[in-house]
This record gives sequence, structure tokens and C-alpha cells, in this order.
Amino acid sequence: MPVIEVEHLHKRYGEKVAVDDVSFTVEQGEIFGVLGPNGAGKTTTVECVQGLRRADGGSVRVLGLDPIRDRTEVRQRVGAQLQESQLPDKLRVREALDLYRSFYRQRADIDELLADLGLTEQRNTAFHKLSGGQKQRLSVALALVGCPEVAILDELTTGLDPQGRRDTWDLVERIRDRGVTVVLVTHFMEEAERLCDRLAIIDAGRIVAIDTPSGILARVGTEHRVHFRPLDELDDSLLAALPEVTGVSRGGDEVTVTGPEQVLQSVLAALAEHKVRYAGLRVEQPTLDDAFVSLTGRHAGRAAATQPPTDKRSS
Amino acid sequence: MNALTKLIAVEMKLFVREPVSLFFVFVLPIGLMLVFGLPQRGSSAQGAGQHGELTFLPALALALTIGMLALFTLPMALGVYRERRVLRRLATTPVHPGLLLVAQVVVNLVMGVAGAVVTAIGVRYLLDQSSPANMPGFVLAFLLGVACLFAIGLLIAALAPSARAAQSIGPALFFPLLFLAGAWLPRDQMPTVLARIGDYSPLGATVDTIAASWAGDSPALSQLLVLAATAVLGSVLATRFFRWE
Repeated sequence: MPVIEVEHLHKRYGEKVAVDDVSFTVEQGEIFGVLGPNGAGKTTTVECVQGLRRADGGSVRVLGLDPIRDRTEVRQRVGAQLQESQLPDKLRVREALDLYRSFYRQRADIDELLADLGLTEQRNTAFHKLSGGQKQRLSVALALVGCPEVAILDELTTGLDPQGRRDTWDLVERIRDRGVTVVLVTHFMEEAERLCDRLAIIDAGRIVAIDTPSGILARVGTEHRVHFRPLDELDDSLLAALPEVTGVSRGGDEVTVTGPEQVLQSVLAALAEHKVRYAGLRVEQPTLDDAFVSLTGRHAGRAAATQPPTDKRSS
Repeated sequence: MNALTKLIAVEMKLFVREPVSLFFVFVLPIGLMLVFGLPQRGSSAQGAGQHGELTFLPALALALTIGMLALFTLPMALGVYRERRVLRRLATTPVHPGLLLVAQVVVNLVMGVAGAVVTAIGVRYLLDQSSPANMPGFVLAFLLGVACLFAIGLLIAALAPSARAAQSIGPALFFPLLFLAGAWLPRDQMPTVLARIGDYSPLGATVDTIAASWAGDSPALSQLLVLAATAVLGSVLATRFFRWE
């Protein structure tokens, strides 16, 4: 039985349709991503799953329960981390965990949780003295303190520095390894690509695609790009004639060749055959960001769009 | 009840960690009493009228203690909790966020009573004021005053669009109420209409009924009724209009 089943979810605020028609299922033990630009309806969707909002149409089942009718039971078993939720300034880490722990039937061991989340040293630190990353980790800890079967994490890494973001990713994987099903709401493509077993791309209140990250890439069929600087004379038509190549262009002294995954191999073979030496070779693989653009016709988020070229993945 | 007792204990700790709130509750009322009360009592000739009543200042100090908690501290705290999405966060747990409001009210009530007791004892010994002569009347007047002012505080919390707004609405209401109670100009020197409004204003009625019972008289029934009615009306409206986010 799926852990979460959403069928034809529809939610409007007055005249404005926040979620038009969204259906997906989340299976036991996976990290499921809900991905999309700001305002796509991600948060409203998960709020309906949590029972914080009543759907205007469609059905939502969580652990076989109705999140509105069986709200107390659902909240016992689903932990949530909200976007931009804070705690009172002078509340200390341990006190916050101890308080939230008292709300649940199943209670996690606080010291263990603190150690797991790297907050042991901060256990007596007041909330307003925590760093951004520590606040975020505390927020995750609060979502886990009731030993939930499902954890819903909304915009977990927004506002964190790159190191903090990577640490948080490790953390999400550890949560999954404890057997908790994770629903991850994000607008960072890189995050979804790294963490999610499957993901749903939402745009303007509708599902654009649901698949594994590689499945989505394959479906979109975005091309690889090979860049290099020829050190010898090179006739572009030579490359353009290769069967795999879909395009050749020059920018300054750099040549860019596009094509499917095998394009790199054929380009290198052709260069070797014609004894053309080269420098500055790098390959850009398609990213979820490219896939997103091709699926929706726009960028997911500013942060995702400013990623450096991902040549490190070519090795 | 476990969650509620935990919430109350935590809110109590948080309250005690705010030196400003502690100052408002335990230091300011008694300080004002000493500043205004000592010279007045030192003078041999007690004036006539509202300010001449020996129990006026102590009653005002008690009303001040409750009023500051109800109109400053409580709406501010609830506004911050809404703004920081603490109420929203709580809504994702099995506990209803309403319990946090209950805990806040309980903590402010407890601190208000504690502050009132400290102030009353201070008045008793520092100003040599005798204990309330009509104790049942005094307790009733105090409790109704508390209920009335807290209901207004909750209404501010419900209606204020932000914590910052709550922070300015509280004082914007508090000082006119203090004026109507006769804190600066005795009500017997006010124009009649203003004085009558003052009699039935939340702080005015609280001060009068506490002062009367303290002196040993019966508090005016009409004023007690107005306090009770305001308390009920305020709570109902606050419940009706409260926004969780």
C-alpha cells in the first residue's frame, strides 16, 4: 500500500487556483521530491497532505487515513518541517525538543536525536543564538521527535550556505535509512537530483512529470554538450557530418558540439583520426534544470539557474 | 494534559527570561506607587475627590500591573507566535495550537496575580496601607478586572495584522484607558460625560471597584457588570476573529 495517495487534488484561494489537478503516490521508504518554481502549488499540495488545508476537490490518503477527518492520528505519524517556521528566541534546543516530544505517543530519544543531527553541543543554546544551519537542523529534529513514519520537509535548504546544504542532504539520507518515508519539497534541481528516488515536477498547479531523476532526464532527452579548443586547424563540417552530432558552433576559439550521450566518444575519435590536438575539454551533461526548462519552458529558481557548468560530472 | 502542562512550564520559563516583562510586573507598579504615593501621604492635608482616596493609588497600581500584561505582553507574544509561524508549526503536531494560547493566558494570569500580590504587600508595608477591608469584594473586583483586560488583550491579538501592530495598538489603547481611569486628571474634575465614560471604561471600573472594596465599601454592581460584560464580549470576538496565520 502506498504511504501517500493524492488523486486529482484541487485547491483554490478565492478566485486563484493554487493546485489545479495533482495526482501522485509515495511509496514506503522512498525519498519523494515535489519540485517546481515558487508559486507552483508545492506547499499547498503538501499542506493538504498534512491536513493543514482542506482540498476543494480530489482525495488525499496518508497511511490509509484521511488527513482532515483523522487529523490527530495523521499528525501522530507524520512529522513536518515547515518553510520559514521559527521558535521563540529564548527557547533552548533541548527544551524545544522536550516540549514537542511531549505531544506524541511515540517519543524519540532526545540525546540520540541531538547527536544524529550534530546539535549535542548546542543543546543548551537559545534559538536566536543558533546559526541558520543549526536552526534548520533543529527544525528537522522537531519533525522527527515523534518517531514519524513519514517526514515532510519543505524548502529544507533555502538560505543555507553550500556546506550547510550538503550536510543537510546527508541528513535526509540518514532519515530515509531509518526507514522513514521522506517527502521533500524543493525548488533546487541539484537537491532533487542528488536525493530523490522519484520526483514530481509541478508547474502552475499541475503535474508536469513524475519519474526517477534519470527517467525524467531520459524522457526529456536533453543533449550533452562537448566544449574544447582545437589547437590545430579544424573543419567544422567534419564534426557536423558525424551521425551522433546534432549541432556544431563556435564561440571565440571554443568549439561546442551537441548530441546524445555518445557524442563525446565520436568527437574524440574524429579528432584523433584527423590528428587534431585540443585543450580545455569539458562535457556538460543535461541536468534536471535543463529538463525542467524543457518541460515547463522556464527556470525553476534563480539559485538553480546560477549553478556553474557541471563539467565535474564528465569524468 | 501532559502537553498543556509542558507548554505552560515552557512559556513560564520564557516569560521569566524576559527582564523587561519582569520589570513591568514586579518593579514598575510599586515604583510608581512610591514616587506618587509617598509625597502625597507625607502631606498632612489629604485632598478631597478621587485622588484623595487612600485606596486610589494602590488600586491603580494593581490595575496597571494587569493592564500592562494584558495589553502589552500578551498581544505582543501572540503576534510574534503567529508571525514566526509557531502556531502553524504546532498545527502540524497532534496538539491544537489553541493550547499555546491557553498556556500564554495562564502564564500572564499567574504573573499578573503574582505581581498584584507583590504590589499589594509592598503597599501594605511601604505605604502603611491597611489590607483590603472587604476581601470578597476585593477578590471579585480584581478577578473581573483581570478577565476584562485580558479579553481586550486577546481581541488586540486577534485583530492586529502583525506583531508590530499589536505592539503599538496595546499602548495606544492603554494610555487613553489610564487617562479615563483618572490616573492624571481625577475623574471628579473631568467634564461629566467624560467622567461617566471613565466610570465604565475597563481600567476605570477596575480601579473603582478595587479601591472601593479595599476601603471596605461594596464595589458598584453596575461597574462589576460592565467588567463582566466586556470580558465576555471581548473573548467571544477574539475567538471569532482569531487568525492562526
